Amino acid sequence: MDPNELADRALDEIAAAADEATLEAVRARYLGRKDGELTRALRGLKDLSPERRAAEGAAANEAKARVDGAISERRAALRAASLERDLGGSREDLSLPPRTVRLGRLHPISRTIREITGIFATMGFESVEGPEVEWDYYNFEALNIPPDHPARDKFSTLWIENTAEVALARTADGGSGGSAPAPAASRPMLLRTHTSPMQIRVMEQRRPPVRVLVPGRCYRFEATDATHETVFFQTEGLAIDEQLSMADLKGVLYSAARQLFGGARKVRFRPDYFPFTEPSAEMAFDCIVCDGSGTTDEGNCRTCGATGWIEWLGCGMVHPKALERVGYDSTRYQGFAFGGGVERIAMLLTGTPDIRLFHENDLRYLESV
Amino acid sequence: MPTLRVPLAWLREHVDVSDVDDVALRLHMSGSEVDRVERTGESWGDKVHVARIVGLEKHPNADKLQLATVDYGRGRTTTVVTGATNLAVGDVVPYAEAGATILDGHTGRPFALKPKPMRGIASEGMVLSAKELGLGDDHEGIMQLARSLTVGALLRDAIGETTIVFEIAPNRPDTLSITGIAREVAALYDLPLREPDAASIGWDLAPEVLTVRIDDAKGCPRFCAAYLEDVGITPSPDWIRRRLTAAGMRPISNVVDITNYVMLELGQPLHAYDATRLRGRTLVARRAAPREHLRTLDGIDRVLRPSDLVIADADRALGLAGVMGGEDSEIRDDTSTVALEAASFEPLGIRRTADAHGLQGSSGSAAARRFGLELSTALPPIALARAVELLREHAGARLVGATDVHPAPRANVTVRLRFRDVERVTGMQVSSEETVGVLRRLGFATADDGEALAVTAPAHRTDIGIPEDIVEEVARIVGYDRIPTSIPNGPLPVHERHPLEQLRERARDVLVGIGLQETISYAPIDPAWLGRLTPDGAAGAPAARSTTLGPEPLRITNPTTVAQSVMRTTLRASLLDTAARNLRHRPGIAIFEIAPVYLPRPADLPDERWTAAICLAGRAEGGSWLERDRDWDVHDIKGVVTALFRGIGARPEVQGRDGAPGLHPGRSRLYADGPLAVLAWGQLDPRVAARWDLPAETFIAEVDLASLLAVARPAAVAPSRFPAAMRDLAVVVEEGRPYGEVEQAIRDAAKGLIGSVSLLDLYRGPQVGEGRKSFAVRLVLRAPDRTLSEADVAKAMKRIEGRLLHQIGAAIR
Repeated sequence: MDPNELADRALDEIAAAADEATLEAVRARYLGRKDGELTRALRGLKDLSPERRAAEGAAANEAKARVDGAISERRAALRAASLERDLGGSREDLSLPPRTVRLGRLHPISRTIREITGIFATMGFESVEGPEVEWDYYNFEALNIPPDHPARDKFSTLWIENTAEVALARTADGGSGGSAPAPAASRPMLLRTHTSPMQIRVMEQRRPPVRVLVPGRCYRFEATDATHETVFFQTEGLAIDEQLSMADLKGVLYSAARQLFGGARKVRFRPDYFPFTEPSAEMAFDCIVCDGSGTTDEGNCRTCGATGWIEWLGCGMVHPKALERVGYDSTRYQGFAFGGGVERIAMLLTGTPDIRLFHENDLRYLESV
Repeated sequence: MPTLRVPLAWLREHVDVSDVDDVALRLHMSGSEVDRVERTGESWGDKVHVARIVGLEKHPNADKLQLATVDYGRGRTTTVVTGATNLAVGDVVPYAEAGATILDGHTGRPFALKPKPMRGIASEGMVLSAKELGLGDDHEGIMQLARSLTVGALLRDAIGETTIVFEIAPNRPDTLSITGIAREVAALYDLPLREPDAASIGWDLAPEVLTVRIDDAKGCPRFCAAYLEDVGITPSPDWIRRRLTAAGMRPISNVVDITNYVMLELGQPLHAYDATRLRGRTLVARRAAPREHLRTLDGIDRVLRPSDLVIADADRALGLAGVMGGEDSEIRDDTSTVALEAASFEPLGIRRTADAHGLQGSSGSAAARRFGLELSTALPPIALARAVELLREHAGARLVGATDVHPAPRANVTVRLRFRDVERVTGMQVSSEETVGVLRRLGFATADDGEALAVTAPAHRTDIGIPEDIVEEVARIVGYDRIPTSIPNGPLPVHERHPLEQLRERARDVLVGIGLQETISYAPIDPAWLGRLTPDGAAGAPAARSTTLGPEPLRITNPTTVAQSVMRTTLRASLLDTAARNLRHRPGIAIFEIAPVYLPRPADLPDERWTAAICLAGRAEGGSWLERDRDWDVHDIKGVVTALFRGIGARPEVQGRDGAPGLHPGRSRLYADGPLAVLAWGQLDPRVAARWDLPAETFIAEVDLASLLAVARPAAVAPSRFPAAMRDLAVVVEEGRPYGEVEQAIRDAAKGLIGSVSLLDLYRGPQVGEGRKSFAVRLVLRAPDRTLSEADVAKAMKRIEGRLLHQIGAAIR
């Protein structure tokens, strides 16, 4: 048959095909690899003489192209229609609860420490860590707080039993094992009351310029309440160089406060006392809840105790005696140190109302922050 | 930090203060920490008056009520109904008119008073208890006011007080007094300071009257004393009583009150002795004798330590110097001759003595709290003169004589301040004129030699020693607000990477990423917890100690509670406790903690080893329309550990031997490096689980992160560009054969051609016969450098099958 006629017939059938299966049958009938009518017609060309082959071949190929194109077009149309029907007809109840995807979370303290160390890292502060169980020397003496110094009153200390001396005391006691703790050891061991001992350890190990940030766990002998814990976290900063001043200290903490709590935070410094810094300061930023006004719609602001300020950390210029103790030339080098609680920041960032929640590990709380 | 209460009226006696809030803020911002400003009386307004009871009669309709007629000045009288039983005609009491805001005597809540009839008699107002005025908890009777108050005056003006409450830093005992604070105010506002009136004293006490001696000049550098006769012990005048009360001290009698008054006013504690009790007419400062005893004012018989400094007479200790007086020589109602001591003591000795005798701290001795700080040695004669003046005026005392023993007076401290020091330290520019001016206001003397200032601290400033101290003085008075802000410049310091910390944070991310919740628990734990980690509960027995559960923990000498008294040697107990508490309100948990454990070392700080610990317990998933219920099982914990290893770049094979301490012997693994447990994981021993009230299927993993560091070597893999071949294999083995051996044999035999081995199915049943099991294993074979031919694959499979057959007696189906 004439390829063009075949093609015309095929086009009618294609147009009439109501679904993809019918269309596929049409395709097979005309373009099937073995028995398709057009296929056969094309195959028959090879038996023709070269002149006829050229003429008829062109016609046959054109017919095949027409059918091919029509099938593709029809298939696309059928698919679109079928999809249209599907989209209109099949609905999933999407108000159903989803499949559970387990979501893990960092503890808010871990997150806050990361945030703080990250901020100071951008200002060149390297994060370093040190021991929680510490010698009295690093926790106190090297920081200008000798035994019985009045400043020790501020640091209610948890002491570690000196095992060697306890063992001795027990032997002397006839090995009962129930004797009172041994007298203070010659080298008393304690749970660090702040991260400041790392100031000394870092300076012992490095020469200026120094810029470090020390996150870590600290301990105090203290009654717990909504804002006090026996175990808590601090971050300590230390920067030593030839020309660092309180203005740099202020700038660094200013930047940190703004990165943590927003670009408009104000910062306040007031004099304070620490034996290992001189001059010393306490740094506060304006309250993030009442914006420093001291009042909210509900009356006095409870976050800042109506003062408008949130005290963050203690800081100051490293005491020349502390510098000299680690062998720094205090006429050449100077610098600043700061240290503050992590929980305070975590509470503000997460809206956590009670510091005890951090160690309680109630998953209902931890999954909420 | 020592607390100081400064009543505003008392402060005003020494310096002009107009706006109390401004003064409080400026003091706070210059280093005298203001805790709060207390105001009593403000809420009373102009509706609460000083009134006198002028008539009392029984209520006609009620046995327990009275009708009191009160006069509240300017001819105003009214009758009120009251249930109080402590009233008499002539009493001066607080009276509130209708409209006054007072506190409910029971609930303590404020309310506005309204006139109301009680049992038929109209009551226009109320006479008030202390509690109703917010002046304490006393609601037993009507508050009795001093009869000297003017009837009709507003109570606010008569007894209202504004008090600034300070927390004084221990290096500034000079501000631990009313005049000390006044001196700060004077410096801040550049105002004159009014010193208290003091008697002019000739220091000429005859030794026959009283000999004063210092035997230990280190412990007692200065000892002043006065000898007074004709002293009459009476209650103090009202104004003294009121000020002591406002400042937080309890009035007793004039002599004791005056010593306390002077202590608050000037910061120098004094001690008064009944002079008739002194043997040998002597006061001496010396160390305690061996086995010396003393009965102190609190009635306690104390054995003194040889290092305790005492004030003694010729025969015996009279008191613990600077800490607490003795009972025998205390002022009594019939005392008429008084020896008054004003001395300086070495702070360290005072602190040690107070500590040893349990008199340290806020509940201890007020004198010791002050003497424990570096008080100025200039104070004793000043305070003594002031006290003598008050005793003359208010106790009728006659000064017989006074003496001042001061063997080695110290010169005031002088510091050289270079002009650039202020800017060098603070970054703030302060002119030399301003610097000198500020220092002058603070009482510092300055001498300018052209390049530096010689700055001499006033005697009361015992905290000054180095230029930075002077810089702080200048900065705090001009205000830290003036310090500019800058960002540090100069060379960037080294910035090292810390592999262990990086690994730890990576581990946190991996565990969070696979859906576990991080927890943080107390590092000090209950020692009993460690015992609950072993099946036999033997905590103390060394045999029960093992690598994972750690050695004997470090003990805290003074724990706040036994529940936090040893430093944990394992995170396991903390996790089990957290799991048990949470499983009370949820079906399942998947948690981890990453923290150090504290492994004691002889004569050194402990080894603080960072550990990751994981706990799975209860329901893993399910309980919803999409998912079948499923509890966590041992394959989950292995999966978590495997994911952790892969996440940090360690080889995911989880090795070790069967059976970790405290875990189910047949369902746990331990990998140890000598005494150190590197990795333990598996099911908790069900007997341990029961002890923690946990389900028998509770799963634990613990990893020593430092050891992991050695194997964490993330290496990028460029995927092979050559196609892989996949072959499935059914390997039948006897029941006791671990899968791990099968996989290992396959890998060994494939000689590097293995891409992966996955176990598709584990089958037990009739098709393989009793006592046997079948692993359906899928192998992916590939070579890094070529496409494997059919022949290559066939050869490899033949090797693998041969190995399985010969090495582990497997049958291939």
